[in-house]
Amino acid sequence: MSLSNLRLEPEIKADAPEREFTIKARTQGQMVRARFFRHRGAMIGFGAIMFVVIIAYTSIGFGPIPGWWGLDFSSTGELVNEGRPTLDLIPFVDGDGLAIGAHPFGQDTIGRDYFALTMRGTQISLMVAFVIGILSTFLGTVAGAISGYYGGTSEAVIMRFTDLLLTIPVLIVAAVVGQGFGDSGPFFLAVVLSLLIWTYLARLVRGEFLSLREKEFVEAARAMGASSTRIIFRHMLPNCIGTIIVSATLTIAAAILIEAALSYLGFGVQSPDTSLGLLISTYQTAFSTRPWLFWWPGLFIITIALSVNFIGDGLRDAFDPRQTRVRA
Amino acid sequence: MAAYIIRRVLASLLILLAATFLMFALVSLSGDPLAEFVNNPDQDQKALLIQARTEALNLDKPFLVQYFLWLGGALGCIVPGMGCDLGVNLSNQPVTSLLSDAFPTTLQLVLAATVLSIVLGVAIGIISAIRQYSAFDYTITFAAFLFFSLPIFWVAVLLKEFGAIKINNWLADPAVTIPVALVMAGFSALFFSAIIGGTRKRRTLVALAAGAGGIAVFALLVTSGWFVNPGMGPGLVTLGALAGAVGATLLFTNLENRRVLFIALATAVVGVVIAYSATPLLEDPSWFTLFGLGVVATLVGVGIAALFGDIDRAAAIRASVVTSVIVGLLVFMDKTISSFAAYSASVNGRPIATVGSKTPNFEGTFWETTLDTMTHLALPTIAIMLISFAGYSRYSRASMLEVMNADYVRTARAKGLTERTVVLRHAFRNALIPIATLAALDFGAVIGGAIITETVFGWKGMGVLFTSAVGNFDTYQIMGVFIVTAIAVLIFNLIADISYAVLDPRIRLS
Amino acid sequence: MSTEILNVSDLTVGFPTDDGLVTAVRGVSYSLKEREVLAIVGESGSGKSVSAMALMGLLPKTARITGSIRFRDEEVLDMTPRRYREIRGQNIAMIFQDPMTSMNPVYTVGDQLAEAYRSHHRVERKVALGKAVEMLDRVGIPQAKDRARSYPHEFSGGMRQRAMIAMAIINSPDIIIADEPTTALDVTVQAQILETLVEVKDSVNAAVILITHDLGVVAGMAHRVLVMYAGRGVERCDVEDIYRRPRMPYTAGLLGSIPALDSAGGKLHPIAGAPPSLINLPAGCPFSPRCPLVSDRCQTEEPQLLATDLAHHEVACHNWEQVAASPDPTLIFRTAAVEA
Repeated sequence: MSLSNLRLEPEIKADAPEREFTIKARTQGQMVRARFFRHRGAMIGFGAIMFVVIIAYTSIGFGPIPGWWGLDFSSTGELVNEGRPTLDLIPFVDGDGLAIGAHPFGQDTIGRDYFALTMRGTQISLMVAFVIGILSTFLGTVAGAISGYYGGTSEAVIMRFTDLLLTIPVLIVAAVVGQGFGDSGPFFLAVVLSLLIWTYLARLVRGEFLSLREKEFVEAARAMGASSTRIIFRHMLPNCIGTIIVSATLTIAAAILIEAALSYLGFGVQSPDTSLGLLISTYQTAFSTRPWLFWWPGLFIITIALSVNFIGDGLRDAFDPRQTRVRA
Repeated sequence: MAAYIIRRVLASLLILLAATFLMFALVSLSGDPLAEFVNNPDQDQKALLIQARTEALNLDKPFLVQYFLWLGGALGCIVPGMGCDLGVNLSNQPVTSLLSDAFPTTLQLVLAATVLSIVLGVAIGIISAIRQYSAFDYTITFAAFLFFSLPIFWVAVLLKEFGAIKINNWLADPAVTIPVALVMAGFSALFFSAIIGGTRKRRTLVALAAGAGGIAVFALLVTSGWFVNPGMGPGLVTLGALAGAVGATLLFTNLENRRVLFIALATAVVGVVIAYSATPLLEDPSWFTLFGLGVVATLVGVGIAALFGDIDRAAAIRASVVTSVIVGLLVFMDKTISSFAAYSASVNGRPIATVGSKTPNFEGTFWETTLDTMTHLALPTIAIMLISFAGYSRYSRASMLEVMNADYVRTARAKGLTERTVVLRHAFRNALIPIATLAALDFGAVIGGAIITETVFGWKGMGVLFTSAVGNFDTYQIMGVFIVTAIAVLIFNLIADISYAVLDPRIRLS
Repeated sequence: MSTEILNVSDLTVGFPTDDGLVTAVRGVSYSLKEREVLAIVGESGSGKSVSAMALMGLLPKTARITGSIRFRDEEVLDMTPRRYREIRGQNIAMIFQDPMTSMNPVYTVGDQLAEAYRSHHRVERKVALGKAVEMLDRVGIPQAKDRARSYPHEFSGGMRQRAMIAMAIINSPDIIIADEPTTALDVTVQAQILETLVEVKDSVNAAVILITHDLGVVAGMAHRVLVMYAGRGVERCDVEDIYRRPRMPYTAGLLGSIPALDSAGGKLHPIAGAPPSLINLPAGCPFSPRCPLVSDRCQTEEPQLLATDLAHHEVACHNWEQVAASPDPTLIFRTAAVEA
């Protein structure tokens, strides 16, 4: 084949099919989701927490909606078998096989069904934790975004304010507030706690915004005349979404434990309502005689905190490409 | 640098001012210190009580004046010459004396736990990072997550039951019971199979061997009556000292470096000799004596290293110092444990304590008193450590992983350095920067965080001071605890920033 | 001429990933003589850096390496880790692309150089530091004694790279591997660094493997050139042949895509398309989707590196004779661009 042909009739024919030899492209969202679902711990945690949420809210009902569990958490009654749990998981040992019985978690000292009590405690603890997680994330993101994007006075003010809040130990302020305004209910407590712990996320978001602010795509957007709001929401926030989501999850896990600690000290959720921390606090001395009063709420706290922590870890791995495993 | 520190101190003082004001307002708003008198039926007594309290707490004055009066008293603590007055609490006790009793107690509680958590957590985090995705890594990661999710007060109750009551029961009549033997076997198996990693087959073999060995050693100890009258004796101490010397050598150079190895071993022997020839001195020593002896032993070791170190002088000196420290710790442990029998008798056979920081009215030798402190510290320390260590190990693992992928680590390997040097001198040194900052910040927060632990274990420290004050709306007591805690936080924040500049030369220029 | 000190034969490196096995290097072979400069040229993803890292033993443990690397009668791939450590930094040294991140930020430059020396020579720290200062001087860093006490972030980019060169030659290695040494630097500094490299290589009698994607860099320094594409060597010849007598369409395309001074105002002629994914390689020649000379044989049978009409010149192309026959091979790609 002579070269002269090439000058006039190039080999690359116009109608030759474009041969694609690249890997199928995936969006970042898809990649993140795929990595998340591969994280075994996160999946187990997710399952566990879904299970807990469903059981807690459907069993004894919530608000006006009734549940499928017959007993409620405040009615006292006769102590059956000294309030021991009727749950029997080992089949055929006592001859009864798998049984749930009337009081699977036992009863407390005045005859209340402990399963219902634990479920109620779980509901409250979950609610407080999620409210804190969502609200503090929202506050932290807004504060961090504003101070990171605008800089100047607003940044200085917000950062000094966060310094201030970080100086004050959360437990101390929370205790004072809890004691003073504790009668206003667990929701109020959750709101107050949120106001104290948004500072950590604010610093993180501010840091991310500071580095993003100098990136070319932000300059380009500004050059095209995009408004500040649009730049923040459409360009910069999506890049921080990983940090924000991971932080929110970890805040929820921490919030569960903080609320439990507060209630344990007596400054959190108060009677007649209950939370998991309060349950443990009330019955801690009963450990040697009625261990079930102590084990159940503890196990639930641990399960919730552990699951959320694993989910947070899974999310962190999903968003951070450097963690990709090389299969050995 | 000096200018930077001064600026930060001034900024911190301003923040402190604002924080105290906010806190004062919050506390005053949240409750009424006179509330407990409201229902007093005796009108005369009620009036008297109200008047007394109002005077003591300046309740008749406007809020701002109250604050400034308190502030004036507080400033007196910093400025020498003026009296330090933080007000009185509801029982008319001066807050300053309450704090000066409570603060050392809290410090004692958290210091050991935090230091141990940091050292252990960081070490395990680093090993986890080096052996990423190994069974060790997964186990530690899961354990860290688990401990992280534990409520400390719940753990404390469990510890009190199993760590104290059950163990005290067992110690009263030590016997090779099945549950205890299994626990021993389990720990031994886990420990050794974690250290000696490798393939699944090898690990299982090691676990089985270690488990069996653990039970055997345990049975031996029980039958020889070691649990009734424990001690290590010069033999074990010397063995441990020599092993420590080997370990110290490994840390700074490798085992083929005979020169450093022999210097370290020599230091170990010298240390042991000094310790046991000074036996009369060590019967009931003071801290001063102990410190003096330690310094002497270390100096001798350093002298040997400097004289014979030659090219490896630097590594030899470091290994020698570490060895001396190890020998000192071993001797200390030996003496303390040896007084166990006497101690146990004085506390009616229940050595591990669950309440308080020390046995009231305890009289004994230095070692017995030390043992007393340690047994009281044991459970709270374990409780704090479980949770704190988890955080540190996760954090140092992440920090180390990030550093291990850095380009300069690749360069270090390309230079032909041993893996040990690459990991310790290059990777760890850089991973240390964020870890040190975190540790400093954590130290600051730890004083405030001890509240729960103190409540559970009945230690009369700052935490208990705080909870009782909040319950009664005791303004000045709350403020007292608050300001001490806030100052601790600010000081450690400053230390964190300074340590960042010290450890990272890139920061120093600004 | 001189003896052969390095012989790489059929080197293959694969990495298992979540998406499959990525074979970054697929059977690369070349040799290196004493004091010779071999330039390995290729785009990103061609496998040039990975093959060099394989030489140094710096690949992750999960990498699967086959083939043979013989350094002076020793089979490198069979070496114990201890022997490898002896060689690294002493017989074979490496200079990396980004000098800022390649040096530890918390130790002084002098310390890091001294460390390189002390890891292979048992001397006192003072002696090693003296050697470090001597090396810094040799690479043209002014006030070397003071500079040795500075930290890496206090150096400019060019000086940092010089310091890296100093670190590489401090043990008088037999081979210096320079992985894109000028890519992270300003253009004005690039020439200086290359000059420094040439000088020091002569002063320590080292051979150099220069890895780059820039054909301009190659012209001044190299004796021999290996062009890599998609993990394979596709052309291997003396440096002059690359510019005057290429036999591989890819090489011709590379040359043709360089804008020349006298073409100002004219069209640029890149090679259309993109390098293939190493997981999803086309059958036959990996360059075939982009090659204007593609024939049916190209799409079914992968060409091997075989001899051509010129001495010391091997090429992996079925149609190399067409390239040889053309007076100006860079024009091969012009027609496609005109049509597009």
